[in-house]
Amino acid sequence: MDKNQACYLCQGCGLGEALNFEKLQEVVEEAGIGEVKTHEQLCSPEGVAFIQGDVDGGVNAILLGACSCRVKTNEFDFGPEVIVERASLREQAVYPSEAEYEGEEEAGEDRQMLAEDYLRMSAVKLAKSDVPVPFQLEEAPETSVMVVGGGVAGINAALAAAKAGVDVFLVEKEDALGGFLGKMAKLAPENPPYQELEDTHLEALVAEIEGNDKIKVYTGNTVTETKGAPGNFDVTLSGGESFRCGAIVQATGWLPYEPEKLAEELAYGSNDAIITNVDMEAKAKAGDLGGIGSVAFIQCAGSRDQNHLPYCSAVCCTVSLKQAMLVKEANPEAAVYVIYKDIRTPGQSEEVYREAQRKGVVFIRRGEDYPKISESGGKLAIETADVTLNDTVEIDELDLVVLATGMKPNNPRVVEPPLVALGMDQEAAKKVAAEAKAACDDWSVLNLKYRQGPNLPTLKYAYPDSHFICFPYETRRTGIYAAGTVRRPMRVTAAVEDATGAALKAIQATKAAAGGFAVHPRSGDMSFPEFAMQRCTQCKRCTEECPFGAINEDEKANPLPNPTRCRRCGVCMGACPERIISFKNYSVDMIGSMIKSIEVPEEDEEKPRVVVLVCENDALPAIDMAARAGHKWSPYIRFIPVRCLGSINLVWIADALSSGIDGVMLFGCRRGDDYQCHFIKGSELANVRMSKISETLDRLVLESDRVRVEEISFGEVDKVPQIIAEFMETIEEVGPNPYKGF
Amino acid sequence: MVMATKAYDKSFREEVYKNVDSGEDVKLCMQCGVCGITCPLRDKMTHGPRQIWSLIRAGKRDEVMDSPDIMLCTSCYTCKVRCPRGVKVIDIMHGLAHYALEQGIVPRAETAKFGKVFWDSIYKTGRVDETEVPMRYTLTAGPIHGLFNTLEMMDIGRALLSHKRMKFKLGPGIPPSKKIKGIKGLKKMLDKAQAMSPGKEG
Ligand code: SF4
Ligand code: SF4
Ligand code: SF4
Ligand code: SF4
Repeated sequence: MDKNQACYLCQGCGLGEALNFEKLQEVVEEAGIGEVKTHEQLCSPEGVAFIQGDVDGGVNAILLGACSCRVKTNEFDFGPEVIVERASLREQAVYPSEAEYEGEEEAGEDRQMLAEDYLRMSAVKLAKSDVPVPFQLEEAPETSVMVVGGGVAGINAALAAAKAGVDVFLVEKEDALGGFLGKMAKLAPENPPYQELEDTHLEALVAEIEGNDKIKVYTGNTVTETKGAPGNFDVTLSGGESFRCGAIVQATGWLPYEPEKLAEELAYGSNDAIITNVDMEAKAKAGDLGGIGSVAFIQCAGSRDQNHLPYCSAVCCTVSLKQAMLVKEANPEAAVYVIYKDIRTPGQSEEVYREAQRKGVVFIRRGEDYPKISESGGKLAIETADVTLNDTVEIDELDLVVLATGMKPNNPRVVEPPLVALGMDQEAAKKVAAEAKAACDDWSVLNLKYRQGPNLPTLKYAYPDSHFICFPYETRRTGIYAAGTVRRPMRVTAAVEDATGAALKAIQATKAAAGGFAVHPRSGDMSFPEFAMQRCTQCKRCTEECPFGAINEDEKANPLPNPTRCRRCGVCMGACPERIISFKNYSVDMIGSMIKSIEVPEEDEEKPRVVVLVCENDALPAIDMAARAGHKWSPYIRFIPVRCLGSINLVWIADALSSGIDGVMLFGCRRGDDYQCHFIKGSELANVRMSKISETLDRLVLESDRVRVEEISFGEVDKVPQIIAEFMETIEEVGPNPYKGF
Repeated sequence: MVMATKAYDKSFREEVYKNVDSGEDVKLCMQCGVCGITCPLRDKMTHGPRQIWSLIRAGKRDEVMDSPDIMLCTSCYTCKVRCPRGVKVIDIMHGLAHYALEQGIVPRAETAKFGKVFWDSIYKTGRVDETEVPMRYTLTAGPIHGLFNTLEMMDIGRALLSHKRMKFKLGPGIPPSKKIKGIKGLKKMLDKAQAMSPGKEG
């Protein structure tokens, strides 16, 4: 594009008094932008009109020296054809720096240099950026959605999508819709005042599906193959049919934890009257509860137990409450006991707990140990610790004992190892867990033809979630959403909510694929990675490291990008040793040039320079907030926002150190099991890459202390100045970069 | 039916639900422990309220009915105000005490005797005579113990007399306490209330 550049410097928010604008203007002009204007408040209607006037007159590339790029985004949006590059003079230069420093010959010199550097960097980025051209699929993008799984989540997802006007393919492996809902007698109370057990309303739901001409149902079918990408998924079913859809919702439910594994702890299998909550539900559905005179439910049967399911399934308490109420309904005189560790009743289920109590169900807190179940006189007896009585108590004359077992992800390959891993010898456990996880990942409902494997990547307990808190329903395969118990244990109410959420996300994904923009977290981003293929060495790093499996490969191992699967994280760009992957507005060269545009003072000036590569998702907002909260930090720091720590190419660190910068810090999200990375693996990968860099540093006779990775979360505002101060201290200890002035 | 000593037995809890004031609230306790920890008499109790509930649920009739704990409650109301489940803790405690006495069980003799003297004073005169009630209560211990107890309380008595907080009496009923106006009406009300107490209807 022909760029017509202009720079606007804002004097509002105290910037006018804090900086020397004549000098700033000179710096921008030297950086090659002829038109530099100042304004007393750019975000005011007059300020915006001031810029708009120039845009109308032909300016299409704007450098804004004002506040953080995270604020006033509506004001400074001049349409998709105009590039706006923002230097955060307020949050990164003025707020965090002191007005003067002791011993400076000129007041505020450090602050002024800081602002000048930010303008230089932004000017370089602006010069190298282009307007992104949205990616268009070769074949017309589809708007339809496939829902796999015809249980409560699948049915509701299909209905939600159809109601939104979208064509739906609903695939169910059984011959009838319903899933586990079809096996349930009643639902626990779901509506205020949470006292009445409720109907499953399955028939009505199925009738609604059948009566909806937007929904095409394939029962008795599984998915044998899913090819393509959002907008163009080509699906083949076991029945031989095939179709194309735009996005997918996987709602394939759960598996009950195997009670056979509780033979030792809870005598399962020793007596027919020891059953699971699943069996109990069947009994209730068959109307077979009348004869129960006394029953005990044992909660956490294998749950929250390092030797079985280490997690809480969050449903079995409510299920037992419901089943206890069912017994009481059938026979109000029945003695009903619930022996628990903690009653966990998420959402409104606490009301269900009260109702069960009102009905006279007796609750006994057992502590960690399992109760002992034995047979006596043709009935069952239980001996259990009663924590509140600090005693051991007995319950005898029991007709039935119900084990409240938990939920496992619906993947037949999920065996105990990934779940028990924690209780065993750690090294051995890790190995078993890794093997088991690999087995899980190799099995799939969707049978994706993806370079990275057929299944949705899973987390610790083999659930295919990706970012539990921020992006529910998201899997690590763009355009494929998980709804209901396939992603975590949950009860029917939650699965229905999930279904709606996932259906809407799926529709959004089809729109994004059609419009050529990203789904979250860079929602609306039109840029996408472009590969300068003639220089590709087929090293496979990009295809392997892309957290979203966006890149397939051909027979010769050439990367085949699928831009509609791409989330625009830039991890591939960070991975590529040939540096041939770039975005229109984000590239290795761009950031490298920004780093090189920083003015590095001579060694004897004793003004070190440190570059901090900041992840825009959590670290950058934390810095902005810290600045606004009045925290101050060293003026020798230069922040450069990056899309993800995973997008950092090692060459930038080399660029920085060879231009005399004294230290480089990477500021990003937490990694590991409780990762906060918005692109899942980004900060993890950055860490791996950084651990390899110390070798290179040694070769350059540079101390590896000069490079550091720090993890921070959105709310850890107070940590920002602390981390910076610590790093500056280290840099002072290591001394100036020997490459200064080369 | 012979039950193992420690085995849960549902008959006592049903008895409590039916006969004890607010007894059904016992079902609602979620064993959070707030009542026990806020009770100012917790150090004097072997079982705080929530343990009493557990014992009721477990069917331990004797342990509950013989427990002095159910007669220690001073009606400070802290537990009832704080219970997150809205269990009427003090009502049940008093209800249990009352129920025990009705059954001829005296979980804590002192309290029972004091209660009796207190009640008699109100029933007969319509007021709590501050000289008469302690005197009579002291004597419930028998003439000898009563005398010793009285001597023990001498200093307090003297101080109260000198501050005109107490009227002088030679002995119980000498001179007799003054009755309130309309004592007959009050007696009627009290009789009716007694007839209405839980467990009496059936
Ligand atoms: S829901 Fe209840 S029974 Fe189930 S694992 Fe959690 S605490 Fe245990
Ligand atoms: S690594 Fe990120 S930017 Fe690259 S293809 Fe994958 S999702 Fe897209
Ligand atoms: S990382 Fe770069 S060189 Fe390696 S396969 Fe991908 S594009 Fe080619
Ligand atoms: S405060 Fe209420 S709920 Fe908690 S232990 Fe006491 S009676 Fe039970």
